Amino acid sequence: MSNVILQHIVKRYDEIEVVHGIDLTIAPKEFVVLVGPSGCGKSTTLRMIAGLEEISDGELQIDDRVVNRVAPKDRDVAMVFQNYALYPHLNVAENIAFGLRIRKESKEHIAKSVSEVGEILGLTPYLQRRPADLSGGQRQRVAMGRAIVRRPKVFLFDEPLSNLDAKLRTQMRAEIKRLHKRLGATSVYVTHDQVEAMTLADRIVVMNDGRIEQVGSPMDLFMNPANTFVAGFIGSPPMNQLNGVVEVTSDGLQANVSGITFELLESTQVEPGQAVVVGIRPEHLSLHASEHSSTIPISLDLVETLGSEALLHATVGEVPIIIKVETHGNIDHLHNVKEVFAPMNLVKLFDMQSGLAIDRKTVA
Amino acid sequence: MAAARQAKPLKQKLSRFVDHFRNDWQIYLMLLPTIIWMIVFLYKPMYGLQIAFKDYSIFRGVAASPWVGFEHFQTLFSNDQFLRAIKNTIIISALNLLFGFPAPIILALMFNEILHATYKRTAQTIVYLPHFISTVIIAGIVTTAFSPTAGVVNTMIGWFGLDSIYFLTKPEWFRPIFVSTGIWQEAGFGSIVFLAAIAGVNPSLYESAVVDGASRWQMMWRITIPSIMPTIIIMLIIRIGNIMEVSFELIILLYQPATWSTADVVNTFVYRQGLESGQYDVAAAAGLFNAVVAFVLVMTANTLSRRYSRTSLW
Repeated sequence: MSNVILQHIVKRYDEIEVVHGIDLTIAPKEFVVLVGPSGCGKSTTLRMIAGLEEISDGELQIDDRVVNRVAPKDRDVAMVFQNYALYPHLNVAENIAFGLRIRKESKEHIAKSVSEVGEILGLTPYLQRRPADLSGGQRQRVAMGRAIVRRPKVFLFDEPLSNLDAKLRTQMRAEIKRLHKRLGATSVYVTHDQVEAMTLADRIVVMNDGRIEQVGSPMDLFMNPANTFVAGFIGSPPMNQLNGVVEVTSDGLQANVSGITFELLESTQVEPGQAVVVGIRPEHLSLHASEHSSTIPISLDLVETLGSEALLHATVGEVPIIIKVETHGNIDHLHNVKEVFAPMNLVKLFDMQSGLAIDRKTVA
Repeated sequence: MAAARQAKPLKQKLSRFVDHFRNDWQIYLMLLPTIIWMIVFLYKPMYGLQIAFKDYSIFRGVAASPWVGFEHFQTLFSNDQFLRAIKNTIIISALNLLFGFPAPIILALMFNEILHATYKRTAQTIVYLPHFISTVIIAGIVTTAFSPTAGVVNTMIGWFGLDSIYFLTKPEWFRPIFVSTGIWQEAGFGSIVFLAAIAGVNPSLYESAVVDGASRWQMMWRITIPSIMPTIIIMLIIRIGNIMEVSFELIILLYQPATWSTADVVNTFVYRQGLESGQYDVAAAAGLFNAVVAFVLVMTANTLSRRYSRTSLW
């Protein structure tokens, strides 16, 4: 199995730089997800790894070999495209066999590989059908079949599930995860869907505006976002962010958000008067007070019922805030909620000016 | 009962059409000039087709001329010149199909491989240009180029110490000259439709093939050509439908009695019979025969294509 190392990778189109020097090391067998809003450079980065885009600056290594100037076919990578990229004039078996036939593999080897892949992906009954006669999910499976049949060193996925409906997406997500477990190949997966990122990744790379904002395990990103961007991007709904100021009172160090106080540990690296952003996840807000929690008075706008959970849309002063609570089968009491409680140990603090987290690790 | 049952859907259809018309009358208005053109120039002349079965005289008019059945067809098929014209039409069309049909496809594939944008645009413009030159001028250029005294072709032959050839009087040279002139004039313009088809191919098919390790040559054979195959087949059907319609003006302008043996086609025969000899009825019969053959050909091609490749014109 192979590693992939990106060293200060830059992509420029004429004068416009879209990827500003990315450093990333992907370990063998690792499943890394690049996630970010559209235009953040995640697909461009993936295409540079594939060799479909030239690398303007920096160094790319696959399996400890610099491949900047190596043709895509010689990088031993396989890519799954968003729109499947199936050949409409070939049937499923021929589509899967395409890469092997191009490489002039023996007929026996091709037949054996295709039937194996058909078996793994449950495509055996459809091998003779044309792509036009398949459903979206089946087409996506054929696209994956084309990638895995070659047993490449690295798999690249470019938003492979975004053309599928929600139910199928959930199903295929699980299939990709299973497939990765089974094949254990190094995988780089691009998506704008943070749920996909959370569920699939060993490590998530959050990108924004051509830069990496944070790299970490899904839980690490969820619990300890490095900055306000990651806090707002990871999690659904995203982390609530309230602007406040650091104060020193007789009770100790506090963050004051228009009258609401959040206790801070004495060791917190802040200065009195510093403008900060107080971050608290919707699921960490509670309807019940605990020993060290801040009380947040809210005015409730709307209760969104999801079944086992409900989202309370409310405002704190003028600032919108979302609270995620369990319903236990009853939402009547939720309509009268006047205040919620933020457990001190789950409150995150960010510097307002830089947006960076003020160091305080939260252990999940 | 049955009639009433049938009448209802018809009524529904009619009212649906009226609804469509009310909503989109602007579109129907745009269609109108073409419909008028077709009525005036294609449907109305069909009335005159009956003279193919009549002993037509301009003085009696179309309606009053007496019926003679298939007499003109019998005359035609016992006429060696007409049989020769059919043979020439088929041979020239076959050569056109064999060499002229693939030319724009090959040209389009070649253009598609040019990466330099300016070079590509310039090259395309240059090959489109001959299409816009009037046939008369094309014939003039060909006549001049192949002239035995000052022609560029004979000049080049002269460099090798060979005698000059009066190409346009040699029956064996007529078809090659005619077919290659046609290719030179139309291949560039004809490539537009194939270039458009190539532009419609999903780019990720190529990217996927690049990652799979396909060369440009393999991508052309395995992706581009199969992807534009429906367009190729449609163009082929249209071409087959026009097989009896060889470029009449160019033949008239290039041929001379010396080359009639290989150059005279049904259309030039009709022209000479009808307009030069005044035998309108025989000419109409020859023209009708031509049209029937073309109709049968296009129907057959379309049916075969629909059956074997799921692509058809209608």
